[in-house]
Amino acid sequence: MNDMQGVSAPAEAEPESAFIFEGSWREYLPIALTNLLLIVVTLGIYRFWAKARERRYLWSRTRFIDDRLEWTGTGKEMFIGFVVVMLVLGPLFFGVRLLIEALTIRGQGGAVALVGLTSYLVFFYLIGVAQFRAIRYRLSRSYWHGIRGGSSDGGWGYGYQYLWKTIAGGLVLGLLIPWKMANLWNDRWNKMSFGQHPIEAGASWEGLMGRWLLVYAVPIGALILTIVAGRMFVVAAIAGGSPGMAAAAGVVAILIVYLGFLLASLSYYAAYYRQMVEATSWGGIDFVFTARTKDWLKLIFGTIGLIIVTLGVGFLFVGYRNWSFAVRHLEATGEINLDTLLQSQAAAPREAEGFADAFDIGAF
Amino acid sequence: MAVPGWLYDGSSAVRRTVEVRASAGGGLDIEFADGGADHVPGEALCHIESRRDGDVYGRTDIAGWRLGLTGPVGEIAEALPGRQKYGRWIDRTGLVPSILIALAISAAVLFGADRFPAAVAPYVPASWEKKFGDALVGDFGGRFCTNADGQAALRKLARELSSDSDRLNIRVVHVPIVNAAALPGGNIVIFDKLLEQASGPDAVAGVLAHEMGHVQERHVTQAMIREFGFSALISVLGGSAGSGIDTLGSLHYSRGAEAQADGDAIVTLRRAGISPAPTADFFHSLAEQEKIFGRADAALGYLSTHPLTAEREARFRASAVNGTAYRPSLSPEEWAALSNICH
Repeated sequence: MNDMQGVSAPAEAEPESAFIFEGSWREYLPIALTNLLLIVVTLGIYRFWAKARERRYLWSRTRFIDDRLEWTGTGKEMFIGFVVVMLVLGPLFFGVRLLIEALTIRGQGGAVALVGLTSYLVFFYLIGVAQFRAIRYRLSRSYWHGIRGGSSDGGWGYGYQYLWKTIAGGLVLGLLIPWKMANLWNDRWNKMSFGQHPIEAGASWEGLMGRWLLVYAVPIGALILTIVAGRMFVVAAIAGGSPGMAAAAGVVAILIVYLGFLLASLSYYAAYYRQMVEATSWGGIDFVFTARTKDWLKLIFGTIGLIIVTLGVGFLFVGYRNWSFAVRHLEATGEINLDTLLQSQAAAPREAEGFADAFDIGAF
Repeated sequence: MAVPGWLYDGSSAVRRTVEVRASAGGGLDIEFADGGADHVPGEALCHIESRRDGDVYGRTDIAGWRLGLTGPVGEIAEALPGRQKYGRWIDRTGLVPSILIALAISAAVLFGADRFPAAVAPYVPASWEKKFGDALVGDFGGRFCTNADGQAALRKLARELSSDSDRLNIRVVHVPIVNAAALPGGNIVIFDKLLEQASGPDAVAGVLAHEMGHVQERHVTQAMIREFGFSALISVLGGSAGSGIDTLGSLHYSRGAEAQADGDAIVTLRRAGISPAPTADFFHSLAEQEKIFGRADAALGYLSTHPLTAEREARFRASAVNGTAYRPSLSPEEWAALSNICH
């Protein structure tokens, strides 16, 4: 081949993003409705095929630089993956339940605690493995230019990382959670690749601490404030003979604490994702995630509002909204040489998302 | 006429411009603009997606191989495979017939799942259940009450009720709640507070006869199958393994099973010549206490597993036959021994 092919992501100054979502809700609605219908009449079993259809649509409407993505995962493989994992995990859960029950009846408190703790640790370990394998599966079924991603790692080592870092992060009142999250981000993404190029993540947790402390500070501060202000108000209200006012003030105070907590958490998550994505690169392409706290707020309240206004039907669009949100805020800069971008040699996993499905967790 | 298009070969990301023709022996002949040619057998072709600028095809034998046709397919249309929409089975059957078939199957499955435990329970060997039950119950953490006279009185009470009660393991346990339970493997436990609350041996006989009814009818086995099957079903529908299996510990019986056990108990009492009235009184006094303390009171555990209704009390009361010479199920001495079984 003589003509060198290369495509470059637009420079940051240009308005055009490297990632563009071209879907429309009108196009997606028939897919969502028939999915729902088929899920209902099959007692939920169609949900694997529904997921595949949903992803096929969302991926195919996502443009990266010069071509669209393609989802090649099938409902059948997700169903089989789920059944296999259930056949392994089901009896395991059942056995542990029986063991705990038998020990409880015998009053073996210490043994119950030991078995409980052990199964808790195993559970955490498997959540880590599941998260890793879900990402690996999704990358291995995502194609761009006929090239897919994946990982040649099984995620068993990541399970250990996940286990001990989650425990360590939980120490000291959870203050080390940003450290844990950034660290695990690197651990899992550094094991992934797309084509023959590895994905590289070198995220640090520096700079996240301020917002993380805010997650603690806001409710505590709000609580102190409302206690002080509330007491004054309640005393005044009761003195004025209006206990209803006092109750209303209480409700408002709880709402403020709740909203403050939500806002602080969102601002942390927004910063977390921006920082993580920015520290992640692939084959000469650098990524940027532009969603700020207000964008996340719009996403969440938009979704809630949509569900309320449509009397629940809007929940069909949760996956659609989340995906388009991610794509709209994802940008990339740099250049890929298509001549040197070759097919991934990592084995494509077979069990699909069975593990993640079993634990009911998301991947990213 | 050749159809214009583009091609990814599945090993490199380079997009190549091609011209596609129908092959004489079936399949497609592909000619690359930058030189070279390829042939795709028809059976390897599959439809991937329809884009605004044309359809995209893949090869089932080469992952990532994609052929996009950007011009009118005209004469090669016959060599191209059809598209998939909902999944292979549904596409073949049609959406509406598929939905109707699925509805029928789902209804049958739900109906079957409801009947399944009762249908299968009689075929579970008693020896399996016995092993399972003994492994589960063990020595109840050393809480079995072991007073020899009390145990003898309990044994006598059981024999009054059923001739083959010896295969059951009936024990009083020292746990301060008012309850009784039939556990897997013919294990029946009576909690010692129930002995305190009962007015006499006949009320205990009624409660015991009820639990023996559960064993007799194999409700315990049914409940185990139901709990396990149900949690398995839930995990398929709901997706998480942890949520469903948690309920196993509390074997609950359906209303129908409770009524059946009551019916058995009434027959048992009648055959043994024991008055059902004290059992009805016992239910009545528990119901009265419930009004005062509420169902959540741990001392009233019996009510949480055996919801009391006015009908249950009335049924026992109505089963008393006027003019029958009922005899006490235990002598005062035996009752005293049973009451003291934990001391």
